Amino acid sequence: MLDHDIVAFIQSGVSITLAACAPGRLPSMSRGFACKPVDGEAIGIILPRTQAAEALDNIRLTGRVAVAFTQPTTNRTTQLKGTDARITTFDPADEPLIRKHIEEFVPEVVALGTPEELVHALLSYQPEDLVMVVFTPSSGFDQTPGPKAGQPLPATL
Amino acid sequence: MTPRLDTLRDCLEGVIPGHIVTCDPAGVPNVAFLSQAEYVDNEHLALSYQFFNTTRRNVLAGSPVRLLLTSHLTARQYRLSLQYLRTETAGPLFERMKAKLAGIAAHSGMTGIFRLLGADIYRVLDIVPVPGGCISPPPPAVNCLNALRRSTERLSGCANLECLLEKAVDCLEKEFGFSHLMLLMHDEARGCLFTLASRGYAQSGIGSEIPVGSGLIGICARERSPIRIGFMTSEYAYGRTVRDGLAAEGQLDALETAIPLPGLPNAASQMAIPIVAGDRLLGVIYVESLADLHFDYDEEDALVVFAAQLGLAMQHHQMTDDAPDETPVAERPAMPPEGAPLTVRYFAANDSIFVDDDYLIKGVAGAILWALLNDFTQRGRTTFTNKGLRVDSRIRLPGASDNLEARLVLLQRRLAERNAGIAIGKTGRGRFTLTVERPLTLVES
Repeated sequence: MLDHDIVAFIQSGVSITLAACAPGRLPSMSRGFACKPVDGEAIGIILPRTQAAEALDNIRLTGRVAVAFTQPTTNRTTQLKGTDARITTFDPADEPLIRKHIEEFVPEVVALGTPEELVHALLSYQPEDLVMVVFTPSSGFDQTPGPKAGQPLPATL
Repeated sequence: MTPRLDTLRDCLEGVIPGHIVTCDPAGVPNVAFLSQAEYVDNEHLALSYQFFNTTRRNVLAGSPVRLLLTSHLTARQYRLSLQYLRTETAGPLFERMKAKLAGIAAHSGMTGIFRLLGADIYRVLDIVPVPGGCISPPPPAVNCLNALRRSTERLSGCANLECLLEKAVDCLEKEFGFSHLMLLMHDEARGCLFTLASRGYAQSGIGSEIPVGSGLIGICARERSPIRIGFMTSEYAYGRTVRDGLAAEGQLDALETAIPLPGLPNAASQMAIPIVAGDRLLGVIYVESLADLHFDYDEEDALVVFAAQLGLAMQHHQMTDDAPDETPVAERPAMPPEGAPLTVRYFAANDSIFVDDDYLIKGVAGAILWALLNDFTQRGRTTFTNKGLRVDSRIRLPGASDNLEARLVLLQRRLAERNAGIAIGKTGRGRFTLTVERPLTLVES
């Protein structure tokens, strides 16, 4: 089980990046647009199919996934990994999650000098292009730069 | 069509961190954030190695590497495939990245945590644009290529080193639009750089010195490599590092410290470009700004070309100034100066000169002035040649790489700044005159 703090953190205005690997170890990645808990123990990452096409192919082949969450203003970073990833259709009822994510992400990067207009362009999407990758975190790591970087999260399974 | 790496260098400025993904031998993917990536050439990219982490373990275990880069100007994203080649832990590329990383660390609150252990060099195998939204980039503040063209035309019209250096500074200010800049010359024998000209500071700082290897300018000189920082970092703060460097190396006595260094105390953006001709370092161009990310790769490129041209022209003028015109300028009998006498005091220990108790200059330029003033008071001499100075045993020039012409320009400027009634001015190739407007009293201590 992820603790409440981690669950809240990964749903806040963090940058989300998902990675998957082909069977020959060639990795691929995509930005994620929002994150939500699914059925208690799993989490879902909402991302654009066109940007994530290669990563989605890899997930279909291996089920393995790694997702990093970073808060730009503090560099706090958490990475969750899973082996049971699957692709599900995007539920339009989840669209407010994306809007909330962008709303909370904008001040994080505007504080570092990135124009708001650019963030909106970066996270622009067509709802019909979205999918959700669902996985159960089997390991998690604190990757905040510093002495504790790379340590397993005490709260993960 | 695959984009060329040199067309997406704005993604490498460290504003929006890149993502690096790898895979371990068991097939487990890993994502990490990239503090810094540096353009090497169109086939090579250097990534900062700061920690021994999962990414590094995976890379050393032969993982293919992918990057996701994002432009902070357009939001365009690119996916790059890389192949790890080697790690450099010293040298020009390492120092460039170390300085830039210090700025990025300060900007992201990671000072003391981000520390460059190595520059990992990768071959770029593939670049693929990622579909997605983007915006138009803001228009550039200056058209670098046109600034370079206009500067080239202006520099080519100079007949001597003095004119060349004056024009160079003028081009940096007016053509390139740099508001705060310095031109420093290399003193090879003493291992330092001296400020010959500056623009945009309350005090010109002409004559102030920096040891090679100290601060951003000194490291640029030592490595003969351009160095550019986009964010304020105390690690490379101009005045402080130089002062610390001097104290640490015990050079405070040997170097010019009476003339304060120019420089913005809170510069956010800094760029230093070496001026090199053949295998010799001739000087450094330094520009700075209070704004973040004020200088980009294109401006760095343009200044590197500008400095290369300036270096060749400087070398040419220094050689021709050593061969004086055949026809000497007729020496006019000097009118005896009138007015209140001027006391010029000379300290032989470090060749320093004080005019009416105010410090003027020391070192080779001080020795030159003392010889000129002695010849003037003893023999009424007012015209001199570079060639004559070279064989003058009182001056002790440090051999062929003496930068004599640049030292004369320095002396001329220091005298003009002080407006003390003593001046030197060029009268032809390798020739100059001394003008003294007040009676002199020379005192040697």
